Amino acid sequence: MKTIREWLKKHKNFNMIAGAVITGLILLIAVIGLFYTPYPSTEMNASLKNSAPTIKHIMGCDNYGRDIFSRVMEGIRNTFFISLATVAIGTVVGVLVGSVCGYFGGLLDDILMRINDALFAFPSILLALVIISLLGTGTQNVVLALGIAFIPSFARIVRSEYKKQVSLDYVQSARLMGAGHVRLIFVHILPNIVPVLLSSVMIGFNNAVLAEAGLSYLGIGVQPPEASLGRMLSEAQSYLFTAPWYAIFPGLVIVLMVLGFALLAEGMTEE
Amino acid sequence: MKHYGKKLISMLLTLLAVSFLVFAAFEIIPGDPALSKLGDNATPEAIAALRAEMGLDRPFPVRYFSWLADCLKGNLGESYSYHMPVSEMIGDKLPITLTMAIMSMLLTMAVSVPLGLLLSKYAYSKLDRAGYVANQFLMSIPSFFLGILLTWFFGLILKLFTPGGFVSYKKDFAGFLGYLILPSIAIAIPKCAMSVKLLRSSILTEADKDYVRTAYSRGNSTMEVLYRHVLKNAMIPLVTFWGMAVADTIAGSIVVEQVFNIPGIGRIMLTSISHRDYPVVEAIILLIAFVVVVMNFIVDLLYRRLDPRMRRE
Repeated sequence: MKTIREWLKKHKNFNMIAGAVITGLILLIAVIGLFYTPYPSTEMNASLKNSAPTIKHIMGCDNYGRDIFSRVMEGIRNTFFISLATVAIGTVVGVLVGSVCGYFGGLLDDILMRINDALFAFPSILLALVIISLLGTGTQNVVLALGIAFIPSFARIVRSEYKKQVSLDYVQSARLMGAGHVRLIFVHILPNIVPVLLSSVMIGFNNAVLAEAGLSYLGIGVQPPEASLGRMLSEAQSYLFTAPWYAIFPGLVIVLMVLGFALLAEGMTEE
Repeated sequence: MKHYGKKLISMLLTLLAVSFLVFAAFEIIPGDPALSKLGDNATPEAIAALRAEMGLDRPFPVRYFSWLADCLKGNLGESYSYHMPVSEMIGDKLPITLTMAIMSMLLTMAVSVPLGLLLSKYAYSKLDRAGYVANQFLMSIPSFFLGILLTWFFGLILKLFTPGGFVSYKKDFAGFLGYLILPSIAIAIPKCAMSVKLLRSSILTEADKDYVRTAYSRGNSTMEVLYRHVLKNAMIPLVTFWGMAVADTIAGSIVVEQVFNIPGIGRIMLTSISHRDYPVVEAIILLIAFVVVVMNFIVDLLYRRLDPRMRRE
């Protein structure tokens, strides 16, 4: 306890703390949601249709009498893991493309970056929509579509970082010592761009959460009966007058998810 | 002047690349457009005839350039499910979505600059702290959730607004704009919060620089220094951000249209996706990407007006 208090006094990084608390909570719920929800998320109870929050159902029930909190837990889990997978695809491919372009430059760089620029003209959610329209709906396709949609932004950031690093002395001396291209790219330069990469991963994660929620709001993301926060919002809209909590809780959870990561990213840049 | 030409050429190249990507993406879809047009029980001869008529038997580059030439003439193809030209389907919907996007961009610009100035004037005060918290929170709200909250609050509680009461701009232009106010606000708020945050920090960074001290020492008042010197420089990152926000705003409009039941481009796009009506999806994607690229070009020009250093390169 004492060390934490001292650390707080020294750093006063409230963004980091608030972000860690919110994200930790969401993460905890996502992990618990893997094994346990208070009620089965698809269990319908006709007598509880659109009932208000009570002690037993802390977020109330939806139009089928399903426990909203259980569905929110499942929704957080889905959104969280979809976003994670999305960012993973975007980062890995983005680093590969960006590092090769930034490190070697030349014609390949010109061509790939021209394609990248063109891809940049499509808003990521739109790009994902198109890819899904080509591949069909379903969770894997959502991950793939969003992952592809996120590659250009990662590639661009990584490329510009590699461009900066490649002319630095440590790279030259490693090269003189006989390090090959692959070794230079991944062992020498990559660790130096991790801080930049990490904050763009955080921002990317947020964009993924927003995009996933948007897609499932449009009915193109996770398919029912599987719960998703975005779809809950679109279903809740018809019952806004009788059961406003149905819209408010899933929406607030999305806000908290995004807020937590935004604060963490902010706190990390302050450090 | 030379630079403008260069930028223009680069824009045209990007547009070409965009059109190629769109065309290629829709080429690799499994399935034969002729077959989907005629249905499953068409005879092979009829399919072959239609393929020849649609020009599908020609090689890929030939088809690409003829498609591109058609697009440039305004002929965006024909919808599979409605059997009418895509340009007719999109033509009267595009103004709706674009009006909404433009309204929310204008709103973002009009609100964020004064607020950013205010927060930077009272930097590190309680007001600034409260503004920071509000900004972080508003930035995290997805615009479709904001849309739902606004409908709930203004439509169902205050009853100031009829959800779903969209009026066409052909019938009642004022009513049309009135209906679009809440959706535009829903799209604008997160962007606005980001802009305010960005402007505040960029004003504070600029205010520490040497030229500010020089300007003061030459007898300028705070207002003069702020508006003539600091703001001009501080706006540069903001204009960059706005340029990038254009694409997001249009994408946001598509989602928010669903919240407010607005029959714009988003509606057609979603129905076309679910009906696998590819020519329509293809045309919409192409149009949006074109709008984004052209907007980026305009931002680039604006840049040069703001920052004389860029003109010298």
